[in-house]
Amino acid sequence: MAQSMTPMEDAMRAKITEALKPTTLDIYNDSHLHSHHKAMQGVTSKETHFRAIITSEAFKGKMQPARHRMVYSLLKDEMAQEGGIHALQLRTRTPEEEEKQKQKEAQE
Amino acid sequence: MATVQEISDETSFASTVSALPSSTLAVIYFHAPWAAPCKQMGTVLSALASTYSTDAPVSFLSVNAEELPDVSEQYDVTAVPYIVLQKDNKTLETISGSDAAKVRAAVEKYAGPASGDASKAGIPPPQTVTKQAPPQAGENDGPSRDLSGYAPSPTDPKTAPEYSSGEPTNKEELFKRLGELVKAAPVMLFMKGTPSAPQCGFSRQTVGILREKGVRYGFFNILADDEVRQGLKEFADWPTFPQLWVGGELVGGLDIVREEFENDPEFLKEYSVSGQKAQAA
Repeated sequence: MAQSMTPMEDAMRAKITEALKPTTLDIYNDSHLHSHHKAMQGVTSKETHFRAIITSEAFKGKMQPARHRMVYSLLKDEMAQEGGIHALQLRTRTPEEEEKQKQKEAQE
Repeated sequence: MATVQEISDETSFASTVSALPSSTLAVIYFHAPWAAPCKQMGTVLSALASTYSTDAPVSFLSVNAEELPDVSEQYDVTAVPYIVLQKDNKTLETISGSDAAKVRAAVEKYAGPASGDASKAGIPPPQTVTKQAPPQAGENDGPSRDLSGYAPSPTDPKTAPEYSSGEPTNKEELFKRLGELVKAAPVMLFMKGTPSAPQCGFSRQTVGILREKGVRYGFFNILADDEVRQGLKEFADWPTFPQLWVGGELVGGLDIVREEFENDPEFLKEYSVSGQKAQAA
């Protein structure tokens, strides 16, 4: 079997799916937008900056910082390693919140 | 032999620039004393200036970006070192960062090559800055590096609280200190760089949002203090920066702050300039 070109993203998807059983999970790789930054000089990984949109019941009753912490703790190793995840933007909603936002957008 | 002229205040900047003949190229160099790449660029510029004769149509001006904030804003300076080349008050080119060769090429393009024998000219060869400039290790990084080049100057706004003395502190003391630090102001932003010179896109955006809403906040440049930088990640149980704290509680990073404002236009209203004016009335 050929090796995956996106091991980091695969790991993210696998861990988040298993732990949060999300109804929506969109992962965007924004690394190319930051590859010219000084902080990224010498870094060969193409998987450094991510944006993840996650909808899950598991977020119910939790404030945003708590929700983000849940995701951070799942990806603790990937974020701690050299050349691992450098930046992670998150959108964490419950199914109800996602629905409410969709309606709001439909009205506008 | 031309030299770099240091401009000390807003009025002298205005008068110096207007006094220049319209054919003279003005090379305006924005710097901050605490940013190491700026020392590098300063040397490069002095050397470059020295290769031009005193009556050459080029004038090198040095501006401390933090001491002359209005000028910095006028030229939309968000990071230093930053060089603006202008003639007759029209901006021809801007160069961000510390690429010496680029600056030299741009100056030669608009002002002509330096007088005198170019091969004997005293410009030092462009040096790669990567080793000397303190690298911005990632939002959540591994080994810490020497960041003393990022230490604040006395001119930095007083809202920046005191930095670690450099002696290792034990965990308990550090956490106690952090506990006080997050309450240093009702709204505290722990960011990379300073509001006038952010060193990271996410920090810059957070500063932008707070400015837009007119929120009064204290800030802390985590690039200047590695102890706080690493300690706060553990204290807050939050691996990334920027971090916004309100009333001693962590609100979150850029995405959370953005969402809070989207969901609630009144978010942080009581800390904003307009909110406080209303209270005083």
